[in-house]
Amino acid sequence: MLKNVGGENVSKSKWLLVAILVVSTALILGCAQQQQPTTPAPSGEGKVETLYFGAPISLSGKFAEEGKASLEGMKIAAKWINENGGIKVGDVTYKIEIKAYDDESKKENVQSLIERLATVDKVKFILAPYSSGLTLAAAPIAEKYQVLLNSHGGASDYIFEQGYYYVVQTLSPASRYQTGFLDMVKAKDPNAKRLALVYEDGEFSRAVHEAAREYAKQLGFEIVYEKTYPAGATDLSPILNELKAANPDVLIGGGHFADGQLLAKQLAELKIDLKAISILVAPTFTSFYEALGNKAEGIAGPAQWEVGVKYSPEAAEKLGIEWYGPTQEEFLSAYKEAMGEEPPYQAAEAAAAVLSYAKAIEKAQSLDPAKVREAMNDLEFMSIYGVWKIDPETGKQIGHEMVIIQWQNGEKKIVWPESAANAEPCYPMPTWDEKEGGATCGS
Amino acid sequence: MRNYTPLVTLLLIYAVMIAIGQGIQGMWQPIMLVIFYIAVGQALNIFLGMTGYVNFGYVALLGVGAYGMAVALGYYTDLGLIPALTLGFILAILLAFIVSMVVGGIALRLRGAYFAIATIGVNEGIKYLILGGKIWGGSSGIVLSGILRKAYGAETMRFLSTVFADAGLIVVAILSGIITMYILNSRLGYGLIALREDEDAAKVMGINVRRYKQIAFVISCILAGLIGATAWTLKLTYVFPQDVFAINYTVEAIVIVMLGGAGTLLGPVVGGLIYALLKYYLTIAFPGMQLLILAPLLIIVILLFPEGVVGYLAKAARGTRFEKFVR
Repeated sequence: MLKNVGGENVSKSKWLLVAILVVSTALILGCAQQQQPTTPAPSGEGKVETLYFGAPISLSGKFAEEGKASLEGMKIAAKWINENGGIKVGDVTYKIEIKAYDDESKKENVQSLIERLATVDKVKFILAPYSSGLTLAAAPIAEKYQVLLNSHGGASDYIFEQGYYYVVQTLSPASRYQTGFLDMVKAKDPNAKRLALVYEDGEFSRAVHEAAREYAKQLGFEIVYEKTYPAGATDLSPILNELKAANPDVLIGGGHFADGQLLAKQLAELKIDLKAISILVAPTFTSFYEALGNKAEGIAGPAQWEVGVKYSPEAAEKLGIEWYGPTQEEFLSAYKEAMGEEPPYQAAEAAAAVLSYAKAIEKAQSLDPAKVREAMNDLEFMSIYGVWKIDPETGKQIGHEMVIIQWQNGEKKIVWPESAANAEPCYPMPTWDEKEGGATCGS
Repeated sequence: MRNYTPLVTLLLIYAVMIAIGQGIQGMWQPIMLVIFYIAVGQALNIFLGMTGYVNFGYVALLGVGAYGMAVALGYYTDLGLIPALTLGFILAILLAFIVSMVVGGIALRLRGAYFAIATIGVNEGIKYLILGGKIWGGSSGIVLSGILRKAYGAETMRFLSTVFADAGLIVVAILSGIITMYILNSRLGYGLIALREDEDAAKVMGINVRRYKQIAFVISCILAGLIGATAWTLKLTYVFPQDVFAINYTVEAIVIVMLGGAGTLLGPVVGGLIYALLKYYLTIAFPGMQLLILAPLLIIVILLFPEGVVGYLAKAARGTRFEKFVR
């Protein structure tokens, strides 16, 4: 009898739980439904049609943050295009809509979403998923359906060495991450010849630094020291002691945030003075300066894009190329309004990918991916993100340059290339002893 | 009494899925996603469902299988297409066999939760072995599409990564089902179910529990290796260590087995269908919100069918003429 009552209680509470779950699911469904974008009403004059750009993007999983920023960048670019006359092909004006799905940062999802975009949604222009791995997973399916795939978050060079024709790149490839810095050093001080490389043993940083080493040799640098450290390293002092003995002028290295910060910290502890340092990833974060204080002064690093770059219609005119898209101020304020913070570089590169499609479609005067791909071959324009120009054969980005940032007087300044810079490079950077005495760049 | 009729149901489900995938535009990749999840569930079920032991290192077997195929195609390309592919399958099976013998030989001496704890680091361990030892391309992984295109031509590469990879995965998935059915009908299966219910009692009855568990473990692992070789290496044409040793696949496989019904033939099929289709359509209808909606739905299913959907159906079908077809 007693047991029976207990059983009833259990089953009652179970049904209650089910009911609660059903109600909450219904609520979420309701909320989600409301977020669905409404299609804009077509305007009366001329023939206006909607053109969809597909985007399998990571809104959850490990690339969720980067994915959300990218999607917002795409939306801002699409909105700007629509407000500035749309894309004109013949006598039809196309308004852009971004058709986005969440790939959860997973390779299996990317493949079925690309197929859905290409066949069910009939999308011909796809903005690639975030990261090199997912872009590589998307490429065979895009190639199969002959739709264009524009990589805005896949930097690795090997994507473009596999022979895919319909895959193009908007961001700078890994091989060009540290080359701008080397150009800058050479321009500032042709006598600084002794280069050292200390970097993380990871797929990405390896690709970056192996390409930088070859580029440095071409520029006439002498490689005096090169060593990798494993991911998650907590002590670099054995390597740095060897480095000190090699007596380099310039150092490039790093990998991710934690090891890049460790590298800077231990260089300071061991008082290894260099004329210039460029570290991958870490210096672009504000927390880098917060952690190191004025030890971070003068340390540089490459970035795809930064708030404050000087790419503008005037800069484009100086270079003799066309400007397309919103201005820096328009982009910044639109992003801030939507997301409540300053845009990270992922937003700018995704926006540039959307702009490049629009520009290429208008140039080709066709919605046929093969013709648009052909038109991309000699397309060159400047946007908030910088120059866009691809290598016709591989689709690799060759026009865009990495910007070099440097910490100067507690502020992150853009020092290279000259068309983007908002400050002069601080070269040579102050020594560790000078910094201990409170010296900063610019003081 | 040996009963193989549930295989009819199984094959019927596959036939319907393949017909939908081929007949409706844009459905082929989603169907392959479903079959991937079914295969992953089916292979895990042979061990988890039959013994009640949770193998948290499961994804490591998919990973080594993927590497086996990638090494053969990437490093022995000169052998020619057919020999390299054959070598790939052999290496996938061999690597999965070695890993499962080593892991099983050690960890299967432990019981219940302790076994789960012992296996939880296997995928991380192998990942860091490849990264730290710089073997098989280390952190750079193996990217095959360019190599295959150069060696065998673009057409062959496309055939390999689309038609052949998909067909291979379907064969592996169905094979896992047939093996499950065979085990359920065999002395091995009865022994495993006995040890799942009460390991000590099974031991007293004269069942060599260590050996039985090991056999189930090795079979489950080899099938997982074959899934990695087809669904990952051949289909995606690349292998990165961070990608193939990600633990979320283990968790998804466990969810699918539990959802459909552990220890049943059709459980992983139903579980895979529910899980993959729900997720796919929620992704399309509510991009970015799908996981938030999926989670309560899964909890509801588990609450309503504590023994899994197929466990419930098998009970409901008892005494009716459908009894023979559900297991």
